[in-house]
Amino acid sequence: MMYLEIITPEKLLFAGEIKLIKLPGISGSFEIMTNHAPIISILTPGKIKVRETNDIVSYFEINGGLVEASNNKIKVLVD
Amino acid sequence: MANLKDIRTRIASVKSTQQVTSAMKMVSAAKLRKAQDAIIQMRPYAEKLSEILTSVSSNLSSDVDNKYAGRKTEGKILIIAITSNRGLCGGFNLNVVKRTTELLTVNFKEQAKKNNVDIFAIGKKAVDGLKSKGIKVAISYPDFYDKMTFATVSEIAQTIMDSYAHGDYDHVELVYNQFKNAAVQNLVNEQFLPVKPIKPEISKSKSSSNLSYLFEPSMQDIVVTIIPQSLKIQFFKAILDSVAAEHGARMTAMHKATDNAFELIRELKLNYNKARQASITNEILEIVSGANAMKG
Repeated sequence: MMYLEIITPEKLLFAGEIKLIKLPGISGSFEIMTNHAPIISILTPGKIKVRETNDIVSYFEINGGLVEASNNKIKVLVD
Repeated sequence: MANLKDIRTRIASVKSTQQVTSAMKMVSAAKLRKAQDAIIQMRPYAEKLSEILTSVSSNLSSDVDNKYAGRKTEGKILIIAITSNRGLCGGFNLNVVKRTTELLTVNFKEQAKKNNVDIFAIGKKAVDGLKSKGIKVAISYPDFYDKMTFATVSEIAQTIMDSYAHGDYDHVELVYNQFKNAAVQNLVNEQFLPVKPIKPEISKSKSSSNLSYLFEPSMQDIVVTIIPQSLKIQFFKAILDSVAAEHGARMTAMHKATDNAFELIRELKLNYNKARQASITNEILEIVSGANAMKG
């Protein structure tokens, strides 16, 4: 279980508990699951896949951005 | 003393003006709420971004090669004046124009003499105000507020940043009204480029920066990506502040106008009643003296 926030400069896109997130990293797509090591990474244009705790899967189209994850808290800043 | 009909017409016209100003005040209040919301919505993003930027750059030992860093000489200056498209908001727009002129004649006097200062005007009022003072505006964005999103704002910021990186300008200054609260706007001029050196925060963010983060791809690359983004955010924030300040200023101006109209109506009514009383007294006097004449 992790807490995820996806933020744009204009609004909060998503906030909630999730099981898994798949992100378009600059050196390839990667996933973050519970107890991932702290990471800061740049994102490239692509799709974010989010699996919530109730197994609902949602997708977000992004134009690049930044992710910070630590202590099972993830913040994704997208453009 | 003016006659009764004149006063009546004036009262009616002041009353309708009052209605207009009080309606405009309501509209501004609603728009102000929206503009304030936009600022609040942007805040978490801006805070997180600057937090990451400070924590990453404080971990870096050497300075990152940065195309937005300062230069030795400040030969060419760009001033960006941010105003609104509409008037009726007190000194809001005038102040920006005044400060821009002041910057031209005081702060950047040397560069202005050599014709090395360009001005970007955002909002119609900046264009009009500067033109009437005989100041040439290099580029203007008059219909900028029609579809204002982060995407359009960052596009403009990107053009400005590109021309800085190109060496077209050595210093970029923003002039705008900072939103403090609904009644108070602070006129500020703020250095946009070159980027100020990042000071690592010592106080509270320490706990989070002590974590050993993995950096993808590398710290340098992250800083290089974040800096332009944080510049765009700074620019966007200036615009949002200016928009909120505009509505605040208009609300105050319209509130005052409504109050003045109220005062004016009170005075006119007093005059009207005086005139009415005078005419009644006159009439009675005529009747009484007429009756006396008949009797006598």
